[in-house]
Amino acid sequence: MTYSEVHDELRSVASDLLSKGDTAVDWPLLTQAGWIGLEVPEESGGAGVTFAEVAIILEQMGRAATRSAYLGGAVLGVGTLTALQPSASRDGLLADVASGAVRTAVVLDGLRLAGNRLSGHATFVPDADGADRLLAIADDSDGIPVVVAADNVTVTPQPVLDETRSLAEVTAEDVAVKEVWRFDGAAADQVRRLHDRAAVAVACDSLGLAEAMLTATVDYAKVRQQFGRPIGSFQAVKHACADMLVQVSVARQLVNAAVEALADGGDARVAAAMAKSYACAAAVDVVGKAMQLHGGIGYTWESGIHVYLKRALLNRSLFGSPAEHRRQLAKRYSSRETPFRTRYAEGTH
Amino acid sequence: MTDDLDDFRATVRQWCETHVPADWRRSQTGVGDDEFVRFQKAWFAELHSAGYAVPHWPSEWDGGMSVAEQIVLYQELAAHDAPRLVLAFVGIHHAASTLLAAGTDEQRRRHLPAILDGEIWVQGFSEPEAGSDLASLRTSARRDGDSYLVNGQKLWASGGMQADWCLLLARTDPEAPKRKGISYFLLDMTTPGIDVRPIRNAVGESHFCEIFLNDVAIPADNLVGAENEGWQVAQATLGAERGLTMLELVERLGNAGFRWLVRACRPIDDPVVADRLAQFEIEISGLRGLCRELVENTEAGLAGPADASIVKLYYSELLQRMTDFGAEMSGLAAHTELAKPLSSGWESGSWVLDFIGSWEWTIPGGSSEIQRTIIGERGLGLPREPSAV
Repeated sequence: MTYSEVHDELRSVASDLLSKGDTAVDWPLLTQAGWIGLEVPEESGGAGVTFAEVAIILEQMGRAATRSAYLGGAVLGVGTLTALQPSASRDGLLADVASGAVRTAVVLDGLRLAGNRLSGHATFVPDADGADRLLAIADDSDGIPVVVAADNVTVTPQPVLDETRSLAEVTAEDVAVKEVWRFDGAAADQVRRLHDRAAVAVACDSLGLAEAMLTATVDYAKVRQQFGRPIGSFQAVKHACADMLVQVSVARQLVNAAVEALADGGDARVAAAMAKSYACAAAVDVVGKAMQLHGGIGYTWESGIHVYLKRALLNRSLFGSPAEHRRQLAKRYSSRETPFRTRYAEGTH
Repeated sequence: MTDDLDDFRATVRQWCETHVPADWRRSQTGVGDDEFVRFQKAWFAELHSAGYAVPHWPSEWDGGMSVAEQIVLYQELAAHDAPRLVLAFVGIHHAASTLLAAGTDEQRRRHLPAILDGEIWVQGFSEPEAGSDLASLRTSARRDGDSYLVNGQKLWASGGMQADWCLLLARTDPEAPKRKGISYFLLDMTTPGIDVRPIRNAVGESHFCEIFLNDVAIPADNLVGAENEGWQVAQATLGAERGLTMLELVERLGNAGFRWLVRACRPIDDPVVADRLAQFEIEISGLRGLCRELVENTEAGLAGPADASIVKLYYSELLQRMTDFGAEMSGLAAHTELAKPLSSGWESGSWVLDFIGSWEWTIPGGSSEIQRTIIGERGLGLPREPSAV
């Protein structure tokens, strides 16, 4: 099989599995499917592939508005563990994650380390509730970010409008940490990459849910009759659908570029900011149009479009709003080196 | 392969550094037609001698560059802010692709080398009553012995004043359904009975023309494809407006265009300004990806039926929004720029004129409304509008 055929196969399997019935997908099912361990090295029981494959699962989960702990447990959990220097405890934990014995979640920021004591308060931590191990990123006494096992902390679920995601507050009250892991290579870069992964993961999800809403809307516009003809034959409806497709197409380009940058292991900051900003904003527009074009039925609880709207809205706010990402991008315009010019000259994204 | 491309990029880059005239924008601002034509022809000859003028042509006609190399070529020309081939555009793209797709050997032998020597072409498609609904065109061509006698009026013929030859659509069978009675001709613009009149556009330029055709005789040898099958031939011609020609324009928007925009935006650290700029950069980046994919998929025969429309629509509207913002940011000073540099892209940095000129993208070549209909119907399979006919 070619690389692209493998991806098609993975996409098709994921689509089948996720579209069955309830939007909640159990952790054991995700483990059996091999999706948790995609990026875990083969010697630790994983598939040893890259973020490109994870991105396929994420997009399909967005399409199905899947409720799962994949974001916290796989994207961030596995992403964090594989960024660490190998050690017996790290390797063991990674193997347990791949086998499904242990589910992790990651506190990206908000907690502080003093000596070996952890304290602080973090909010909106994905999938922390019910996780077997919590990993927290905090600076050591030299100001270098490390990862610690945040045991004995308090996890309080935060009710959010989007019922397909699980977010929680994590409070550490001067608790002793038993495990401290160091990042492999430049710690600050690794932390940066984890933030980029989180942002791009959510962008993949938004792309998927926007695609699902476009499909649903087009299908509906083909069959819903008013004034004696399908509403999709009216220009006002047709052109709105065309705009949805254009937005989804642009979003897909930016998301693909960011996924590629992350999978290649290089600096993905610019691509991630672009993908997160555009795809997450576009998804809200697209779902909004889906609700509008479905008419009264689209506004009902029963139609389920509200589920997508809430997920799109939460995605937009998670891991940096579009405006925040644009602010980061814009910092390059005033710098003396103007790196953005060089990038264009190279003809890269 | 990648190494070869890197080498090719280095070669093009070096060529650009030594050949792109340093001050061409200044020297081409406010010049008359004669200087514009001279500059365009000289630049075309320069590009041609390097093998960069018609890279998309087959190798037996001095082309034969791979699509991957063409992408690199256009990226580098844009990055080095090279002048555009405006005058030769219809000849090297529309005329050539029509001749290569449907022309006879003799037609190709006669015109392809001539185009390389500077023969200028104009497109005679639209008419006063046939704009978005091009197939309703009325200009008639009646068979008369070894030739056709043509009568009618063409509109929006860009470059008509300079053209040596015209790609002409005319109705040969008034009884047939509208797409089945059209034929495609090559018309020598020196033929008696042709009257070309410039139309001044909103920017103040006169590159658009009306072409009046009064008993104009076209030899039957100048028919392209079979009689009454001109509509299908024209599809190839219209197709040439997409793909690589869009890629070139999009690269220019991402290079010179965005660079001018950043320069026009002061203070650059104003959060509102910075946010708008970042949004434009993101959209350009997405559009560049779309455009590259369109070119690659077209080459591989994988392009979707609405992919070109998505690129054209997005480019047009992004251009319009960017030039609008540039005009706003440049303030009153931009209103004192009474002429823009000719031979530039649609984003020349003369923001008010560029913004006004942006309607030349949202209206012709299938207006934005037509593109949205194509995207809805061919891209998404939505039902057609009930037909008026």
